[in-house]
Amino acid sequence: MRHILYLLLPLVALLTTDCSQRVPQLNIFTWSEYLDPKIISEFEQKFGCRVVLDYYEDPESMMAKLASGGSSLYDIVVPSNSNLPALIKRGLLASLRAQNIPNLNNIDSRFSDTPFDPGNQYGAPYQWGTTGLYIRKSPGTTLDLSWALVFDPAKAAGPFLLLDDPRSCIGAALRYRGRTLNTTNSAELKEAGAILASAKKRSLGFEGAVGGRNRVLSKGASMAIVYSGDALRGMEEDPETLYFIPREGSEIWLDSLSIPARAPHRDLAENFINFMLDGRVAARSAEYTRAATPNKAALEFISPELLKNPAIYPPPEVMQSLEYAADLADLNQLYDDLWTHIKAD
Amino acid sequence: MKRIKLQLCGIAGLLYAFLYTPIAVVMVYSFNAAKRGTAWKGFTTHWYTTLLDSPEKLLAVRNTLILGLVSTGVSTVLGTLLGYGLARHSGKARNFVSWSIYLPVMVPDIVMAVGMLMFYSLVRDWLGLFQLGLPTMILAHITFQIPFIALVVRSRLAGMDPTIEEAARDLGANPWQRFRFVTLPLLFPGILAGAALAFTLSIDDFVVSFFTTGPGATTLPILIYSSVKRGITPDINALSTLMVLASILGTLTVTFFQKRWRHDNSK
Repeated sequence: MRHILYLLLPLVALLTTDCSQRVPQLNIFTWSEYLDPKIISEFEQKFGCRVVLDYYEDPESMMAKLASGGSSLYDIVVPSNSNLPALIKRGLLASLRAQNIPNLNNIDSRFSDTPFDPGNQYGAPYQWGTTGLYIRKSPGTTLDLSWALVFDPAKAAGPFLLLDDPRSCIGAALRYRGRTLNTTNSAELKEAGAILASAKKRSLGFEGAVGGRNRVLSKGASMAIVYSGDALRGMEEDPETLYFIPREGSEIWLDSLSIPARAPHRDLAENFINFMLDGRVAARSAEYTRAATPNKAALEFISPELLKNPAIYPPPEVMQSLEYAADLADLNQLYDDLWTHIKAD
Repeated sequence: MKRIKLQLCGIAGLLYAFLYTPIAVVMVYSFNAAKRGTAWKGFTTHWYTTLLDSPEKLLAVRNTLILGLVSTGVSTVLGTLLGYGLARHSGKARNFVSWSIYLPVMVPDIVMAVGMLMFYSLVRDWLGLFQLGLPTMILAHITFQIPFIALVVRSRLAGMDPTIEEAARDLGANPWQRFRFVTLPLLFPGILAGAALAFTLSIDDFVVSFFTTGPGATTLPILIYSSVKRGITPDINALSTLMVLASILGTLTVTFFQKRWRHDNSK
């Protein structure tokens, strides 16, 4: 009896070491509904490997998972511009070896030298978009296309949901009052915090990513703060809904494909990024997610209706009012504390 | 007396309704033809057939079953041995082991989950073992299942007459024969109950699984959690209905075997 138990220990050791060398495997950690499954199976066939997908619903759980051992588990992760600097600083990402990813040249110059990742060293731009309001149209009323629909109690058009993303929400409240999305002025932040706290009391709560859009679609709410790509797909499913960028301005975000620092299959991951950056593949990704593509080689393969849609590709005057959520180094703490207060009260 | 009985039935009925109405609602809505929302749009079994087409859901079912069966198997053996040792042997360490069993039972799930994650990270940095995935989840589940089984087995042994085992010893049985032919048959319903409890704990577990999971090792509770965050569609209802039916089937099977065992043994 004892002998059987002695066998247990080396058996455990054997089972728990990484032994995935049979068929090369690529472990992707991404937002749900963000990668076209057909593109994934094409990649599997082309490179003779198996792709395993794990999903997250908000960037904070992604960062927590990476920090607690996930950086040696996953090969591809999809951080957005606001998480990228923090991940780089904590050494959780591996740099992209440009010689293995020639398609990086396909990236539009607007996105190849951003303040948060100059020269695309750590992230290959995948999709960009905006944050705005997604509402169910009520016929016969003219809408004020402004953040006031959410933040002004007098103008509320029905039950609404806030987005579970600190920089997007706090940024929306700041833009509502004409401040910059990246302010470090504590008076302005306090004002934004008060606006959000009052909105939270009147709202149905916070929802992450596609949750808000899904509830508007299922008529559980009439308004939600959402990301543009998700909202566009909702609009196609239900033409009674509308996505718009409020006139006071909003956030522009850029999601990139990155490789965690101790990724087990780094070469395959770089092949994947190169594959995704190819013009035709990037165009198909953009059509799947309905977000905007940062890939200039993809533009000729995207259908003209999508290119003309101002909700996906905003006109220059709207682009002026959009800001990236910048990394504020130590002052990020101001936003973290504010968000904790808003959520906890 | 009759009025008290009526009141008792009334309270019991309300309690059962409180417990089972949410489950019933989930089961009814799994046949709803509407993709979203609570409006009833017609009867369909479409959501059950889409389950078969979805590889990630089938993978989650497979992972949950493997995790449940393997962890229950190992923890039943180890837990029974622990329970038997605590009930039948005295020693200096006995008191300490006895109350330390209660620790995993009382410690909040999330504390245990975070602890396991940190432990795995530490060992991984030194020895390269414990890559997060199904094996680490199995180990974590075994860890919290053993105390439950040990407690069930120990309490069952405490209710058992020790003179029967002494008689067996007097008649010349060695410890192994004593265990195999006298103690084990009498203990079997208790072990079965403990195993059923452990299996239920494993397939229902979310927190510990969520923290110790790795790529491709998603289980049903984790899958349902992320689907709920995205917005509940009826295919999740269908999945949940199947889980409930599986649990009911499992409970009925265990009860049937317990009854048969008791019946066979009392002949």
